[in-house]
Amino acid sequence: MTPSPLLPLDAEVLRVSEESSDTRTLVLRLRDSSARMDARPGQFNMVGLPGIGEAPITFSAIGGDGEFAHTIRGVGSVTRALIGVAPGGTVQVRGPYGSSWPEEELAGRDVVAVAGGNGIIPLRPLLQKMVADRRPDGSRLLVLYGGREPGQLLFRRDLDAWASAPGVEVRLTVDEVPDGWKWDGPRGVVTGLLDHPSAGHPAELALVCGPELMMRFAVRELLLRGMRPADVFVSLERRMKCGIGHCGHCQLGPNYVCADGPVFRYPQVKPYPDAML
Amino acid sequence: MPAAFPARRLAREDLHGLVVRWAGAREVVAPVREGNEVHWRPVTDAAQVDWDYASTMLPPSKVLYKPLVDVARFTRAGDAVATGAVEPDARPSLLLAVHPCDLHGILVLDRTVKGRRFVDPSYAAWRAQTLIVGLNCRHVGELCFCASFGTGPFYSRWMDQGPSDGCDLLLTELEGDCLVEVMSRPGEELLAGTRMTEASETDYAERDRLEESARSRFKKKLEIGGLPELLLRNLEHPVWERVGEGRCLSCTNCTMVCPTCYCYDLQDRSSLDLRETVRARRWDSCQDRNFAAVHFGNFRATRKARLRQFVCHKLSYWVGQHGCFGCVGCGRCIRLCPTGIDLAEIAGEIRRTEKAEDLKGKAEG
Repeated sequence: MTPSPLLPLDAEVLRVSEESSDTRTLVLRLRDSSARMDARPGQFNMVGLPGIGEAPITFSAIGGDGEFAHTIRGVGSVTRALIGVAPGGTVQVRGPYGSSWPEEELAGRDVVAVAGGNGIIPLRPLLQKMVADRRPDGSRLLVLYGGREPGQLLFRRDLDAWASAPGVEVRLTVDEVPDGWKWDGPRGVVTGLLDHPSAGHPAELALVCGPELMMRFAVRELLLRGMRPADVFVSLERRMKCGIGHCGHCQLGPNYVCADGPVFRYPQVKPYPDAML
Repeated sequence: MPAAFPARRLAREDLHGLVVRWAGAREVVAPVREGNEVHWRPVTDAAQVDWDYASTMLPPSKVLYKPLVDVARFTRAGDAVATGAVEPDARPSLLLAVHPCDLHGILVLDRTVKGRRFVDPSYAAWRAQTLIVGLNCRHVGELCFCASFGTGPFYSRWMDQGPSDGCDLLLTELEGDCLVEVMSRPGEELLAGTRMTEASETDYAERDRLEESARSRFKKKLEIGGLPELLLRNLEHPVWERVGEGRCLSCTNCTMVCPTCYCYDLQDRSSLDLRETVRARRWDSCQDRNFAAVHFGNFRATRKARLRQFVCHKLSYWVGQHGCFGCVGCGRCIRLCPTGIDLAEIAGEIRRTEKAEDLKGKAEG
C-alpha cells in the first residue's frame, strides 16, 4: 500500500525570531533524524498543526545541516497558530513541493530581484546563496525591495550584509514612514527603484515576488526596459490544500501553482484569467 | 466492422445468473431507479438493475472517488501527538452496466489523481479492487453529447488508451441476447463456466447497426476542433458575464455530478476532548465562493470568473494539463443545473460569435 502523500512529519521548533509585528521565523528540524528536507530555494512546505490545518509556506532558509526555516505572517487561523508555537514545540510539515528559482540559469548573468512585502521570503535562501557563491564571476545582482513601512521590511540585517558584498546592490523603499521611524531612503512603490539613477545595467534575468498587483507592474516595467518575457520569473501565491496537484484550489489555467509553480516563467502564466499578472 | 476483442453471445437469463454469482463474491454496484432518479446502489439480483437507464445522478467514477475520505489520524497524549496513517477501506467490488461516457469519466479521473507524481491512495485502492462491466448505450438523452468527444455512445479505443483500461467486460444488448466483449483477464474470469456461443458476423453487424442507430439520435453536438484555443481567445466574451452573473447560483451541482471533477478540501475534525483529530479530504468545488480566496483577496470573487473557470477547465485548460478534455459529454452538469446552464451551449455561442465576426471581416475586407 502506498503511504498517503498527505501524511505530515513532525518538526521541532528550534528557535523563533520576531521579524515584524506579525511575522516570525521558525527554525525547524525534522524529529525523525533519518528523514531529510532537501529543498531548493523557491519551494514550499505544507506547514500545519493537527486540528487546525495546513498552509503553504515557502522556505526562508535551507541549511545543509538539516535545519530549515519558515518565515510566517500570522494572518489566518493556521498561520497565527503556527507563529505561536514556542521553541521545543512541534509543527508538522509535508514537502518540499513545487518548482524552484532557476538556479541553473543564474551563472554569469546580471540578475535583478524585485520583492514586495513578504515576497522577499522565498527569495531569501536564493539571494543568500547567490551572494555567497557567485559574485566572483563579475555578474551583478540588484535587489529591489519595497514594503509598506520601515517596520514591515524583513531581514534588514541580511539586506545590509548583501549590500556590502561585491557586485551586489540593494535598494529599499517604503510607501509611508510612520511617526517615530527614521527613514532616509526613497519612498514609493518598488518599481520606482528601477528608475534610480544608478540602475545603469539592464538585467538579463529577473526574479519577482510580492503581492500580485505589485508583480504585474514590476513585470511590465521590466519588459518595457527590454527584458525578454521568458527571462522573467514570478513566484505566485494561491490557496492550496494539498500541495501535490490534487485538490485543485491553486489552478491557474492548465497550471497547478503548487506543482508546476509556485515559480513560473512569466509566459507560462500570462495567458490565463483570474490573476493580476 | 468486427469487434476488436473476442466476443461471445450470452443469453439474457444467463447474464442474470452471472450477476447473482458476482454478487456472492464482491459488492456489485449498479444503476437502480429510485423515484425519478437513478443511483449507483449495491445489488444482489439482476432484477434490481435498471438496464434501460439513460443517466445516473452521480457518476460511477464517484463511487470510486469517495466524497469524504480520512487521510490522517492524530492522537494526543499530554504534549505528544502521534500521527497515524488511515488505510483505504476499499473492498472487492464490481461496477455493473457503466455507460461508455462514464467509463471515460473514470479514465479521465485516473489521469488526475492516479496518473501523476502523487497518487490518491483511496481512489487507487478502490480502482484496483473494482471490476467494471460496461454497457454500450442505446439511450441517447436530450442532453447527451458523448458522440462529440468520441466517448460514446459505444465504447472504443480512446486517447491512446486500450479499452481494457476502462472496463473488464463490455455488454451490448442485442435482440433477446447480449453480446459480451472480454477486455481483460479478470473479465475472462468473470465469465468462467458460463454457456456462451462465439459471436457471429451477424451479431457484429447487429452491434454496428445499433451503434449507428444510437449515433443518429444525438440532437446535442459540440464542435471540439480547436475548442481549447477558441476559449482561450474569448476569456472576455460577454457570455461569461451574462450567464455567470445572470443565472449561476454558485450551488456547485455541476461539479458534484461531474464524472471528472476531483477538487477537494482538507478538513480537520477533532473529538470534544481534543484527544483525537481526523484529517479528511472532502469534495470541494471551484464554484464555491471561497475556493480561490487567499488572505488578501479572492482570485475568483465573481460568479462570472467561477463559471469561466469550470467551463474553460473542462474544455480548454484540461487538455494542456492532462492531455484530454475534462468533459465526456454525459450532460449531468446541464441536467442538474437549477438554471439550466449549458457548457456546450456557451462554447457554441462563442464559436458562433467568432464565425459571425470572421464573415463580417471577410465581407468588409
